[in-house]
Order: sequence, then structure tokens, then C-alpha cells
Amino acid sequence: MGFSTMLDIMGSIIIGGILMMITWRLSDAATAKTYNNSGELSLQQNLATVAQILEHDFRKIGYCSDWTKFPDPSKAIIYADTSEIIYVTDLDLDADMDSIRYYLGPTSELYGTPNPRDRVLYRVINQETPKPSNLGVTAFKLAYFDASGDEIPTPVTVPGLIASLEINVAVETVAAYDTAYSSAFWRQIRLVARNLRNR
Amino acid sequence: MSGKATLLLIVGFSLIFLVVSKNFGDVSNRAVDNFVNYYSETVSHDIAISGANIAANNIFLDPTWNSGYSNVPFQGGYLDVQLQVLDPFRNIREVTVQGTFYGNTSTVKVKFAPSKFSKFAYYSVSEGGTIWWTQSDTVWGPFHTQDYFRAHKHPVFYGKATTKRSLIYYTSEAADKPLFLGGYDQGIDLPLPANAVSEMEVIADDDGLKFSGHDTVYITFAGDSLRYRYRYSDPDSSYYLPTAAPNGLIFAKNCVVRMKGTVKGQYTIGCSSGMSAGKGTIYLDNDIVFHTDPRIDPTSNDLLGICAENNVYITDNIPNRSDINIHGSIYCEKGGFGAQNYSTRPISGNINLLGGIIQNTRKAVGTFGSSGIKSGFAKRYKYDERLMVASPPFFPGTGGFEIVSWYE
Repeated sequence: MGFSTMLDIMGSIIIGGILMMITWRLSDAATAKTYNNSGELSLQQNLATVAQILEHDFRKIGYCSDWTKFPDPSKAIIYADTSEIIYVTDLDLDADMDSIRYYLGPTSELYGTPNPRDRVLYRVINQETPKPSNLGVTAFKLAYFDASGDEIPTPVTVPGLIASLEINVAVETVAAYDTAYSSAFWRQIRLVARNLRNR
Repeated sequence: MSGKATLLLIVGFSLIFLVVSKNFGDVSNRAVDNFVNYYSETVSHDIAISGANIAANNIFLDPTWNSGYSNVPFQGGYLDVQLQVLDPFRNIREVTVQGTFYGNTSTVKVKFAPSKFSKFAYYSVSEGGTIWWTQSDTVWGPFHTQDYFRAHKHPVFYGKATTKRSLIYYTSEAADKPLFLGGYDQGIDLPLPANAVSEMEVIADDDGLKFSGHDTVYITFAGDSLRYRYRYSDPDSSYYLPTAAPNGLIFAKNCVVRMKGTVKGQYTIGCSSGMSAGKGTIYLDNDIVFHTDPRIDPTSNDLLGICAENNVYITDNIPNRSDINIHGSIYCEKGGFGAQNYSTRPISGNINLLGGIIQNTRKAVGTFGSSGIKSGFAKRYKYDERLMVASPPFFPGTGGFEIVSWYE
């Protein structure tokens, strides 16, 4: 074995080591990126789902398939606070009004998830038992505006004053690599439930 | 040997990079798909909403509009509008709009019903000068004025409030802003019809009851019956209303009506003037109330429209000196609702109205000083909630439709 062979072996070992280190680093980075990107994808899907459900429900405030049974939709909102709202709508189109309650649970409920800020956004229909579903919601904030566009202080003492709403939702990944939680935010600047303005 | 190893290394790394980049690419694509899907849904919904607004505008401008739209390109998508008459008798219509954008379809359904003036708790063309709605005023149902809407110290409006002109504050918005519990819009032009009362004659001729050729008709509702006479000193004659006025309309042509009693059923009384200022006026000589008070029995079907071409006055007489109870929707096409001799009559208690007032010009029912009422009546007006969905027979309509339900 000559000097040149020894040099080849040593060079190979060094280059191989470098490559192994690169591979190891790549694996680590790829794991982190895959974890976080997948988390962000879930985050985005969660946010889109929450937004679609909220839009679907809130647009129906005061709706009744038989309008003569609920002729004054301005009475549709029963309770309105910063992170809680109760209103009535004909959800299953049977001409009977259903109540919907949205509210945010405490952070302590989701102790099983690594994210310390995620909370359950509850959607309770009529007197059903609240069913938790964790979509990584960290903030659910509502603002209410009267017919002149002025914000109404919460909790709203006279819900009939409400002419439009602002909905703010923030979601975060429920788990993240190195606790680097991603977040996303959705805001419906002015949601006008059309039935509130009928008649 | 080293050449093969190098090749294997390059192939191996390439495979690893390919797999990793494919995963990253998939995540990115799904994220974009997610965003695009939400965007498409939002745009298709916006297209459907726009279509519904266009259809509603067409119906408001032309109540006979029924052509709809088919596959109209709009905002990068398409919209379809169909109009269906759900109830030909009540003329209830439904517009169904579909907005389509890149495979996503959103549907909006809007129901329209003919709009009657009887739905208003309060309506005026003119507020009769600079009269302010004040802290002590509460209107319990829909409100409209063609005049300026003058507010002083937060009056309360439970129904939707609209004005053709604008809102005027006595001092400032902070000090005077009304509480609109049913919403507020301005720039809404809703004029009174010019001849709605006189046109009732044709309907009365068809299947109603008509009085004509007399200066004054004294009418007393007595449940199913209607007692009447033409002079104060005459004895009463009587009609059985279900056969005398099967369509529910009682019309007094070119005269003065003096009325009172208890109404059982659904009736509208119209009084035309024949262009004579002294006629076309209805005097309320005493209480005119429902046989079944809907506040006590919500199943009550009793309804009354009191429609004068000129004015409706509370008579200055002894029975009206300690309160008057009025159940019905009052309509004054060219005049207003007021109290006869409001400034000289004695303090007369309350006007307990269950219904609404639709008038051309706001009139007074009493005078007030710093110590309270000086003459006439205090107002206790309560809206009859049934007027949101029901109307006395042939009560004047606005000629248009209103949105009663919006599904999206």
C-alpha cells in the first residue's frame, strides 16, 4: 500500500464524513421543515374550515324558512360578548328557530397538546352537550357595530342594536418542531347578516 | 471503483433530494389548493350575492320583473337568477340565485312579499314642522318618514327606522343619537299613494259595503255586526258584516265618518273626500277596540284599518275625556292623526293605541308644558306585532315588494 493509496483512503474518509454530516444535517432540517410545513398546512386548513363554518352560520342570523314565524329578525341575537355569541336561526330549514352559541373554552382544557395557547371553539346548537373539536384556535374575538357603524361596547346590553359584526379568529399549530408554532389570522371586517336588516 | 462509488453517491443523494422536494412540493400544492378553494367559494358566494342584489333592485324598480338571468358572465364566473311565485294569492315571490366560479357554486334565496303601509308603527310624509323625537319617545315597530328625522336625547326605535332625508341631531351625535334596535337607513323614498282611499270604492262595489250620498255616517262596530245611522238623532240600523262586507272593506264615499265599537274579524274602513276639505275625515267618538285583544290572546284574528283620505281625529266629547283605546292601523292620505281641539280641550288622559299611524302630516294630540300635559292626551302607542305579517283587507300598499327572508 503506497502513500498515494493511503492518501486516497484518508481523503475518502474525510469526504465521506463530510457527506455523512451533510446527510445528517439534511435529515434533521428535512424533518423540521416537513413537520413545520405540514403543521402550517393543517393550520391553514383549520383556519379555512373555521372561517367557512363561521361564515355559513353567521350569515344565517335571524333567518327562518317561514318568515311569518319570525317576522322581526332584529330580535335574533340573544347575547353578544367579546368571545361569545348566542343567536337564533332556522338551521335545519324546518321553520323552527334553533339557537346557536359560539364561545371559546379555557386554555386548560387542552393540556394534552404541546401548544399552551390553543383552545376549543365551541359551537352549541340548541341545548346539545358542547362537543369539543380542537382546530388550534387561540383567539376568537367579536366586535359589534350599530346601524351608524359605531362600535358597541361589550357585553352588548341591547343586542337589537347590532347591525353588523367583525369576526377575528387566530389559529396556531397545536404542535411544532422546537416549539416554533406557526400562526394564521382571519378577519371578517364587516359581516352583515342580511336578515337583521329586513323589514 | 471510485467512479462507481461517486455515481452511487450522486444517485443516492439525488433520490433523497427528490423525495424531500416532492414532499415539500406536495405540501405547497395542497396549501395553494386550500387557498384557491376558499377563494373560489368566496368569489362564487360574492357572485350569488351580487345576483341577488341585482334581482332585488330590478324587482324594486319594476314589481312585474320576472325574466331572471341565465348564465350571465360576472366577475370571472357566471350567475343565474330565477324568479318563482311561491304563493299567487299573497303574491309571495322567491328569487334563487346561483353564482358559479371555477366549479364552485353558491346559492342565495331571497323571498319578497308585497309591502303594505300597515306594517309601519309610524309613517309620515311631513313631520309637521320642527318636531323632535325625544328621550321619552319609543316607537315599537317599523318607522319611516319622508321628512328630516330629528333626534333629541336618544329616542328609541325598536323596529327598522328609515328616512328619505337625513338624521338631524339636536346638539350632537353623542348627546342625541337614537337607539336603533332594528337598523337604520336613509335615502329611502317611500311616498304615500295619491288616490289609494278613493280607489277603495271599486273594491267596495265588488264585494264590500258602501255608504254614499250622506254627509255623515255614524258607525258602531258591534262584534259581527255594524250599526249605522246618518244623523245623530236617528235610530241605528244594522248590517251583519260577514254577508254585508265579505271582502272586509267598508267604504264611505265623500262624507265624514264617526266611529266606535268592538271589531270582530278583519275590516278596513275607507272614507273619501270627493276633493272636499271637510270630508274624508274619520272621527273616533269613543273606544274602537278588537273583540279579542291580541296581547291577551295571541291567536286573535281581529284586524282593523282606519283609512281616511284627509284626517283621523279623536272627537272632543265626554266619552273621550278619560283615555281612548284604539286598536287598528290608522292611515291618513292627505292629512294626519290628531285630537280635535287639542289645545283647548281638557286634559283627557292617554291615547292607548295598539296598531300604527300612517299619515301625511304629523298632527298634535295635546299641549305640554314644563309641568306636564296642559291639554289633550298623552301618547301610549303600542305596535301590533301581527302587522309585520298581516294586513287589514285592502289596506293601501306601497306598490312594491319588500325582502322578508334572505338565505345564503
